[in-house]
Amino acid sequence: MLYAVAVFAPLLGSAIAGLFGRAIGDRAAQAVTILCMVLASICGVTAFVQLVYLGAPSGMVVLGDWVQAGSFHVSWALHYDTLSAVMVAMVTCVATLIHIYSVGYMSHDHSIARFFSYLSLFSFAMLMLVSADNLLQLFFGWEGVGLASYLLIGFWYDRPSACAAAMKAFIVNRVGDLGFAVGIALVFTLFGSIEFGSIFANVPAHMDATYHLLGHDWRAYEVVGILLFIGAMGKSAQIGLHVWLPDAMEGPTPVSALIHAATMVTAGVFLMARFSPVLDYAPGAMAFVTFIGATTALFAATVGCVQNDIKRVIAYSTCSQLGYMFVAAGVGAYQASIFHLLTHAFFKALLFLTAGSVIHAMSDEQDMRRMGGIWRLIPFTYAMMWIGNLALGGVFPFAGYFSKDAIVEAAWAAHTGIGQYGFWCTLIAAFLTAFYSWRLLIMTFHGTPRADHHVMQHVHESPPVMLVPLALLGVGAVVAGFVFRDQLIGADWQAFWGSSIQIAPGNHVLRDMEDLPAWVTLSPSVLGLLGIATAYLFYMIRPEIPPRLAAAFPAGYRFLLNKWYFDELYGVVLVAPFRALARLLWQVGDVTLIDGVPNGLAALTAGGSARVVRLQTGSIAVYAFSMLIGLVVLVSVFLLFLR
Amino acid sequence: MIAALAFYVFAGILLLSAAMVVSARNPVHSVLFLILAFFNAAGLFLLAGAEFLAMILVIVYVGAVAVLFLFVVMMLDIDFAELRGGFQRYLPVGLAVGLVLLIELGIVLGGWKLAPDAAALRFAPNLAGAHNTAQLGRLIYTDYILLFQAAGLVLLVAMIGAIVLTLRERHSALRQDITAQQSRSVRQTMELIDMPIGAGIGGSGTTGIRRPAAPAPAPAAAPAHADHGGH
Amino acid sequence: MMNWSLAVPELVLACCGMAILLFGALMKRRETFHLASMLTIGAFLITAMLVIAGPHGLAYHGQFVADSFSGFVKLLVLAGSAFAVVASLDYNEHENLRRFEFPVLILFATVGMMLMASAVNLMTLYVGLELQSLSIYVLAAFARDQLRSSEAGLKYFVLGALASGLLLYGISLIYGFTGSMQFDQLARVLADPARVSPGLIVGIVFLVAGLAFKVSAVPFHMWTPDVYEGAPTPVTLLMGTSPKVAAMALLVRAMATPFGHLLGQWQQLIVLVSIASMLLGALAAIGQRNIKRLMAYSSIGHMGYVLIGLAAGTPAGIRGVLLYLVTYVFMSAGTFACILAMRRRGVMLEQIADLGGLGRRDPVLAMWLTVFMFSMAGIPPFSGFWAKYFIFTAAVQSGLWALAVIGVLTSVIGAYYYIRIIKVMYFDEPQEAFDPRPPSLSLLAAGSGLFTTLFFVFPAPFVGAAETAAKVLFG
Repeated sequence: MLYAVAVFAPLLGSAIAGLFGRAIGDRAAQAVTILCMVLASICGVTAFVQLVYLGAPSGMVVLGDWVQAGSFHVSWALHYDTLSAVMVAMVTCVATLIHIYSVGYMSHDHSIARFFSYLSLFSFAMLMLVSADNLLQLFFGWEGVGLASYLLIGFWYDRPSACAAAMKAFIVNRVGDLGFAVGIALVFTLFGSIEFGSIFANVPAHMDATYHLLGHDWRAYEVVGILLFIGAMGKSAQIGLHVWLPDAMEGPTPVSALIHAATMVTAGVFLMARFSPVLDYAPGAMAFVTFIGATTALFAATVGCVQNDIKRVIAYSTCSQLGYMFVAAGVGAYQASIFHLLTHAFFKALLFLTAGSVIHAMSDEQDMRRMGGIWRLIPFTYAMMWIGNLALGGVFPFAGYFSKDAIVEAAWAAHTGIGQYGFWCTLIAAFLTAFYSWRLLIMTFHGTPRADHHVMQHVHESPPVMLVPLALLGVGAVVAGFVFRDQLIGADWQAFWGSSIQIAPGNHVLRDMEDLPAWVTLSPSVLGLLGIATAYLFYMIRPEIPPRLAAAFPAGYRFLLNKWYFDELYGVVLVAPFRALARLLWQVGDVTLIDGVPNGLAALTAGGSARVVRLQTGSIAVYAFSMLIGLVVLVSVFLLFLR
Repeated sequence: MIAALAFYVFAGILLLSAAMVVSARNPVHSVLFLILAFFNAAGLFLLAGAEFLAMILVIVYVGAVAVLFLFVVMMLDIDFAELRGGFQRYLPVGLAVGLVLLIELGIVLGGWKLAPDAAALRFAPNLAGAHNTAQLGRLIYTDYILLFQAAGLVLLVAMIGAIVLTLRERHSALRQDITAQQSRSVRQTMELIDMPIGAGIGGSGTTGIRRPAAPAPAPAAAPAHADHGGH
Repeated sequence: MMNWSLAVPELVLACCGMAILLFGALMKRRETFHLASMLTIGAFLITAMLVIAGPHGLAYHGQFVADSFSGFVKLLVLAGSAFAVVASLDYNEHENLRRFEFPVLILFATVGMMLMASAVNLMTLYVGLELQSLSIYVLAAFARDQLRSSEAGLKYFVLGALASGLLLYGISLIYGFTGSMQFDQLARVLADPARVSPGLIVGIVFLVAGLAFKVSAVPFHMWTPDVYEGAPTPVTLLMGTSPKVAAMALLVRAMATPFGHLLGQWQQLIVLVSIASMLLGALAAIGQRNIKRLMAYSSIGHMGYVLIGLAAGTPAGIRGVLLYLVTYVFMSAGTFACILAMRRRGVMLEQIADLGGLGRRDPVLAMWLTVFMFSMAGIPPFSGFWAKYFIFTAAVQSGLWALAVIGVLTSVIGAYYYIRIIKVMYFDEPQEAFDPRPPSLSLLAAGSGLFTTLFFVFPAPFVGAAETAAKVLFG
């Protein structure tokens, strides 16, 4: 089956490159992984087209039994419906382009085979995640992408900062994963199964189930929804658990593009869409999702306005856009969130790769304050950055216009208080998004060159192997919006999504989006253009305004520059007490008790061992007597005590 | 009455002679006591009506096994004083264990209680009127054929084991292999050589008669590992 | 009804054994060892297929049963025996033991073990056990020119005869008090625990003692280290795998079926033996320098864990027992394959110190041995962990908390000596490299290693089969 090939071809590539990379050489490892990815993307796209346009039946591909313990039964199976097929097609395509791009970007590295192996391993885990047929398999993919992300962030393991960032990503994700794991357990106790088919079929049956917790009865769906969302928060870097994402930019840029823009961080959004049949009956959890998403969208956008590292700006932008997607999911417009996920994958990967191209051109410089004035030297990259920014800023007719506006409108159309909150947050964030995008563009490409002349002499356009993926992603960033809009969120969305997204009967968000006040429809675009104009004013015409603003509001500026002091807050509230506790446990608990007891036990054990072994004399008579004595002891125990 | 008396006589002698087997000073006496024990056991079988088993016990155990023991004991040079030392060393422990076991078996006897349907379940040859041997044969060859064959396999394994552990092919001994002799052709056996006149046979390097190549001696056994023993 | 065809696998295997024996005796050439070994493996394969395809039912007047439990055990036994034959190919060649009787004896031992697996009558039990034991006595002494080997054979024989005596005494007590040797009739007679006399209980204790000897459970374990060390290593492999499986299966069936109603009586007995075995296996192995002796203590400990499952006395416990045996056979065979590869300049090595620096000299072998050691120590995700997991959960479900806790504690102690081997391989001074490995051993190590590593990916067929097999015993 094509679908299975699409999922497993990257694994094959990864295994070959990882196990035999040293034997077959870097070139061959690259060739193998890219071939496998190309094969996977062809199969993935074909499977998608077959399902959606050629009317192939949805269903599942069973690969084998996994765990069968009592009533708990899990098999290895691939879920084949529109949601999974869309994700598979998108992931394989973007991953293929990024593999190709990496050939150029990583050409000076020492361990190319290892990089490609990790990259393909990641793609496999991501595909496993999106094509999972049950929660356990989804969790397998979930942890698999976490692992691959850890390996790739820490790819340059000789840099302490990279290792620290890798660990941070892993540990922060653990917090979310705990919620997710507990959520899976609750789903199992509630439905008696963790297979999607049987869960969704039984949704109406458990509508009124409750959990008694902390002296209060909670509706089971609310608890499950919030737990799953906590998992999604970790993976998708929502406020509170977002701290790992900016640090994760320590990894190579293609990694940032693939994992931290296009695919892995959107896993949380995917999870929400996948669980739409359950979530739609959990209004409390949905409100929570909207709240967190809207706050993240606004928060990350404000922070993005003052960062100076080119990749961190894009990272915060990603964070913010993920917030948009959760807003859409939270108000019940799952279609819109997946639509934005798709377009975002194209334009954000494009932006990251363009940033990579800039960094490549500037001899690995990432600080925008030491760039500028290079737009004539790398015109192609410059053009691509424009396309990416236009898409991100939501300018007609680029992809972002359709998907982002849809989310803002959906928030309004929800007609709820929390929906209003989401609307205003996303609206302001739209302005900020346009502002920081053009701030980035202008600081990077325009103005007087601020790098030293050695660097400027070396500025060069990237090789074709990097530019071709850029061009293809650019095409995607332009057309993905108007090509998919009507199918994904138009009136006959049901024809496209089939049964993969099920909404409650009372959910009319998509229909209500059709008739909105004109100012609501227009305001995102207007604010976006306003943001562009502001950025132009601040950084092109009157470059002295920003420093003066910073001097006028020092507290506000530092608040933003230090990312709302989240890291410091966690440092004081969590890290320091834990460190103190760990020190206590180490010095008192570990050295004194845990080491002391085993050392004592070990001495005791060794003594016991010597005594036991002394009986082992080699004499048959002794052995025979010991058997007889043992027998007599057993018989006596029986007759005396157990009658 | 007579049967009961005979039972106690046989059983008493059996126990006594069994005790003597392990405690007699002279190993030849031990074997002789063993033979006495067998005879008494055969007597017990007779009392129970199992004539065939009684005869088999006498023929096989007394006639073959015990006599073989006697040969072995008389032919091998065993240091019995040493063995006896071991016996005395372990005697107290053995006596203690035996005593405890005896007491416990006494307790078991005290609580003697057969399962109610035990007697009904017991195997009994169901050919009324047929004599003992026929009944036994009837059971062994029909109901218990599987176990009978399996027991045959046990004996086969014992035979293989005896051969494997003791048989040594001695290549130094001259043996006549008639098949090999018959199947040799003239060409393998003889060679006609034109000798130059007056040269003699010493310089030609042949002896004129070919012999089959002697089998290569078996390679020396690998040296035993140095570190051995209980620890 | 003489439903003789149920025993076709055993009959075919026995006939194959006799044919191979005839063939070996009639062929005058010396090179019959290899051929006989190959034929034996072939016979095992055919038998395995017959076992899989064979019907289920009771035959030979209730002396023999073919059910999913016996099928499961028989397949495992055949696998273990085949591993032993594969492992012997190269060893016997080097140690001048290339005689065709070797595989034939393994084959007959296997017939005995299969009989044990199918025994539903105390007589079948005994005959199968004797057939297996006698063959292995001879195999242990097979290197008759080495003092160690003949001593091992003699010790095993004498102590084994004692154990057989105990077993027979137990059987006669049971027969005397109940009037039957057939498991189903025994179960019927003993359905009411009030009818049980102390004599019968003593008989059961003696029966357990005889079987505990075969699985080398404390206090009937004394022979194990000496015999493991002295016997030729492929024979040690054999003793460490299939006879343990067969004897354990026998013990399980004998306890669960006829004496199932007396669980309260024998449970404490098994608990005692199990605790003693786990403790001894963990403690005594620590000081060992010889890796074969270490494996002996390790097997004592493992049998202690297996007995936990029996003590639970539930289908879940028996399922745990069977799964533990499966993983144990593969781990054990793999470890012995690694031990058999320890040969330097033609001399077999058995000291743990000889493994020094193996991680650099032969990374592949070191990797597999590491996998087996981790698995034996019960470290996830290797199969050994899952085996312990199933056993301990079953114990906890049956309320045997103390047993589970002791099991966990002793496996922590046990991890010490397993991991010490890994430490020696990777951190100690490198020694001279071993001789090149023959393909048979590489295959064995890699095969069992892969099984041990990948068990967690597809445990379902094994868990399912073990569950079906375990349910058979509980009707």
